[in-house]
Parts: sequence; structure tokens; C-alpha cells
Amino acid sequence: MTSATRSSVIGTLVILTVPVVLALVISEALGIRVVDRIATIFCINLVLVLGLQVFMGNSGILSFAHVGFMGIGAYASAVLSMPLQMKGMALPELYPIVKAIEISPYLGMVVGGLVAAGVAAAVSYPLMRLSDAAAVITSFALLVVLHTIMVHWHQMTNGPRTLFGVQSATTLYIAAGVAILMIFIALIFRESRTGILLRAARDDEVAAGAIGTNISNMRWRGFVLSAFMAGIGGALWAHFITSFSPNAFYLKETFVILGMLVIGGAGTVSGAVLGAFVVTAAFELLRLIENSINLSGVLPTQLVGLTEIALACAMIGILIVRPSGIISAREVAFPDALRRYLPGTHFTRPKQSRSADEGGTQ
Amino acid sequence: MRQDSLQARGVSVEFAGLRALDGVSLEVVPGEILGLIGPNGSGKTTLVNALTGQVPIVSGDVVCAGETITGEIPRKIALLGIARSFQIVRLFGNLTVRENVETAALAKGLPRREADARAEELLDEFHLNQSADTLGDALNYGDKRRVEIARALASEPRFLLLDEPAAGMNETESDTLLDMLAMLPEKRNCGMLIIDHDMPLIMRLCHRLHVLASGRTIAEGDIDTVRQHPAVIEAYLGSDAKAADHHA
Repeated sequence: MTSATRSSVIGTLVILTVPVVLALVISEALGIRVVDRIATIFCINLVLVLGLQVFMGNSGILSFAHVGFMGIGAYASAVLSMPLQMKGMALPELYPIVKAIEISPYLGMVVGGLVAAGVAAAVSYPLMRLSDAAAVITSFALLVVLHTIMVHWHQMTNGPRTLFGVQSATTLYIAAGVAILMIFIALIFRESRTGILLRAARDDEVAAGAIGTNISNMRWRGFVLSAFMAGIGGALWAHFITSFSPNAFYLKETFVILGMLVIGGAGTVSGAVLGAFVVTAAFELLRLIENSINLSGVLPTQLVGLTEIALACAMIGILIVRPSGIISAREVAFPDALRRYLPGTHFTRPKQSRSADEGGTQ
Repeated sequence: MRQDSLQARGVSVEFAGLRALDGVSLEVVPGEILGLIGPNGSGKTTLVNALTGQVPIVSGDVVCAGETITGEIPRKIALLGIARSFQIVRLFGNLTVRENVETAALAKGLPRREADARAEELLDEFHLNQSADTLGDALNYGDKRRVEIARALASEPRFLLLDEPAAGMNETESDTLLDMLAMLPEKRNCGMLIIDHDMPLIMRLCHRLHVLASGRTIAEGDIDTVRQHPAVIEAYLGSDAKAADHHA
């Protein structure tokens, strides 16, 4: 990475941290439980959206399987970190070996990410040879497979029923810390060798092949990293919500995560952050409105599903007006004038072009 | 036939039973510029596509520096040192010009620092540093062409195949390009094959010519031999040949 790229990555990181820090500060200042909850949800959503951006944004291939890996991370971490005395009640059929294990939920989050990445690494290689519609449909098939396994693997997941007794461990500070780390990872990946070649293949597959890019291998790497981030996001969520069923990792969640990324702009990390922020805020606001209307009894019937419909409409609107999202191709950048104040970078003037005659040919 | 050259040996290509190339043999030697010419639909682009693995070959062989690469996938062929540009420019539209050039060096497996340095060098050489941070999609047509050639060179190819590099350029642009291309083979010790319809450009640039018509070789050799070849005059050059005479 050139020093110019490095300093622009740091600049972008600084800007993108703002919404996360803002959520943290507001929550601390107000000290209201519900605000703390919303801020934490935002950070968890952000981790999931960033995970999806790493694969989808750079490869240009829509992946439906993402929340399946979120589920893997959630169950892996929840089960492994469950207190021994809880395991007998919550998961009576659990395998004896797993029954004897109790790890810290924080270690569980890392393990959850690794398990999700491991599963992705093992199953996805053949899928990465596919492009366009075939790739999207197979990723959807993969989600169905993962969901079906979660629903039927009684020993590990308690089947279709809710799994209780998951340790509560995700605080706002942890979620925010992980979210900032993931912003950093997503930015670095985008500028890495794999990231650049993946984006090249996204823009033109034939040309990328003609310069010698191993496209399926690049996609595979992106997919595995994406699953790792989804797994960690799932584990964060599991230790926040503390009881859940496999249905939490299916179409509804897919739509929410996808909606955030599409609205913000899949091609950039900035878009992922913006999308997660805007949509989470809009969701909570709409829910508030929905609840107030229902409580006040203005309408003869109860109002339901306002949030989903609003997200769907927003998605349609964005796709019509700006098909590649609000922030499409370029990351938000630190203003040049302020860049010198960034930590760890020394500001260099952009090299002056020596070809003054160049302008004349336009 | 030389050991270090890129060769097509009796290559045939079919599209839905239709023969697009019929037993064409051609050789590109390091250090030379070979012009591949012929009327529209004569199979020039198809031949380049066959050499780089973009279309399947029905019969015949492609040999690069003694190694048979018939039927290899484009990626393998690229890594063996055969780079190309496309008739319709194929840039990475959402990557900056710098990144576009860098990709080829990265795909080849160069360490990041070296790939950066090489990209910087090529941007200088092709007078592209002013637009180094512009996205590929935002460039004008002539600049896109130059970026594509710079990108092909970033992999340090042994053979460079250019499909109408000057198409869509104005006269000044194409003159500048010609000067740059003329020096490439010697400077970078690569063999170059160039397709173009601009006869004066081809005549000034190329050391040798290879003429296709209806998927077959009808003439090859140095410029004068080809220019006076009756089959060429009839099939293709016609009045253009005389026009080129006046220009030369």
C-alpha cells in the first residue's frame, strides 16, 4: 500500500468511526436503557453489514448465505459458552464432549467467527466459480441448507425451538469496539491485493482473467473473511439477545442486512456504515411511531409491519434513483487540508504531473 | 520457426459450425512488431482471442516459447507472459487509473511495493499521472486506450497483442501513441502483434505484416512484399494501398 493509500484509509477510518462513537456518547449521556439497546443493535448490525460488504461489495456478487453464517457464529458461541449447569436444561440432547466445555463468551465470539469461516471455506469453493444469477441463486440455496440444518440439528440448536440460557456478554462498549475493528478490516481488505483484484473482476471479468487474475480464488478469500465477520456479528447478537431460534437467521434478517447495504452503497465501506446507521435509526423511529399510533388508538385496527414496508420502499426507491447506493464507488475522504493532523501519516503534496501538454489533447 | 516466439500452427476456430479461422499459422518474434491486417470479418480478432484462450480452438496448436498452450485458460496464458488489449476497451471502471495499471502486476504475483512502483513508472511513461486518481469510467476514450495498454505492460509480458489500439483516437493522440508503441518492443524486449485499420499507421509502425481474408492467410512478409501482393491488393488494400504510398 502506498503512503497515500495508507493515509486515505486512516482518514476514512476516522470519519467512519464517528457514527459509532456518536452512538456511544449519546447513549452514555442520556443513560436511558432503550437508547443503549438501540446503539448496541446499531453496532451489531454494522458488523453484519460490513461482513456482507466485504464479499458483496468487492466481488459484485449478491450473497444470500450471509445470515446463515451469522447463525453458525451465534450457535457456536452460545453453545460453547453456556454455563455447564444450564446446558442440561437448555440442550438436553447435547453431545457429551460439548457438554463438558464452557469457554468465556468473548472467546466464544472469536470461535464463532472461526467456525463460520471454516464452514464457508469448506463449502464455498465450487460456488465461487459461478457468476451473475447462478451465483446468487446458489448462495440462496446455501442459506436454505444452513437454515434447514439449524432447524433440525436438535443436539446443538434445540431444533426449531428457542434456545434459552445464552450468556449475556455483549455490552455497548464491546459491540462498538468490534464494529470499529471491522470497519478497519473492511477498509484494509478493500485496498489489499485480494481486494483490488476482486474489484477488478467485479468491473470486468474477462479483462481480469486476461491479466491473470485467479478470480474464484479471490472470491473465495473474500467469502471466507465475510463469513468470519458474519460469525462474529452473530455471536455478538446471541450474547446480546440471549435467547433465539433458527428463524432469526433467515429471510427477514437477510432482507434487513441487505437493505442496509444496498441503500448505503455496497461498493464502499462508507456506504455500509451509512446504510447501517440510517436504516437502524429509521427502523427505531418507525417502530416508535407505530407503537404510539397503536397505543393511542387513533386507528380502528392495530398497525403492523410499517418498518418492513418502509425499508422495502426505501430499497426500491434507492435502486431506481441510485442503483449503486448512496455512496457508490469512492470512500468518504478526509479533506486534504486536514489530513496533516491525522495520526501516523505525513501529508505529502500530490505529485505534480510533468506533462503539461496533456490537457491539450482532450 | 524460432524457439522463443509465439506461434499459431494451423489454428482453426469455429462458431456454430461456421469456420472463422481456417488453418492459420503465424509467428510473433520478440523485438518485432507484426501487423495483422485484413478486411472486416476476416478473423483478426478471433485469432487474437484464440492465442489468448478466449475462444476454443478446433484444430491446430498455439505455442509460446516452445511450450504448447493450446486449450489453456486465459489466466494461465496471461501468466505465461501474453498480454492483450481489447477491441472494445475493457477497463475496470470503478478502479482508479493507478489501480487499473497496478492490477496486472498484482495478478502476476508481484509484491505490493514493486507493483506500486511499476504502476507509477508506467503512468509516467504514458503521461497518465495527471489522471492517476480518476476512475476508469470517467476517462475519455483515448485515455482509456492508453490505460489499457499500460495495464497490459504492467505484467511485463513477453508478447503484447493489441486489438485496434488507435481506434477512436484523434490524429494527435494516435500519433503520440504510435511513437510510444514503436519503441516498446526494443525497450521491453517483447514481441508485439497489432491489429488496426489505419493503414498509414500500420505501414509506419510494423516490421512485418500478416494478411487475413475470410479466415485464411493470404499473404505475409515485409511491408513492400505484402503491399505488392496481388491477392492483398484485390482482397483488401485496393485504393488504400496507393493512398498509403502517398503518405509514406
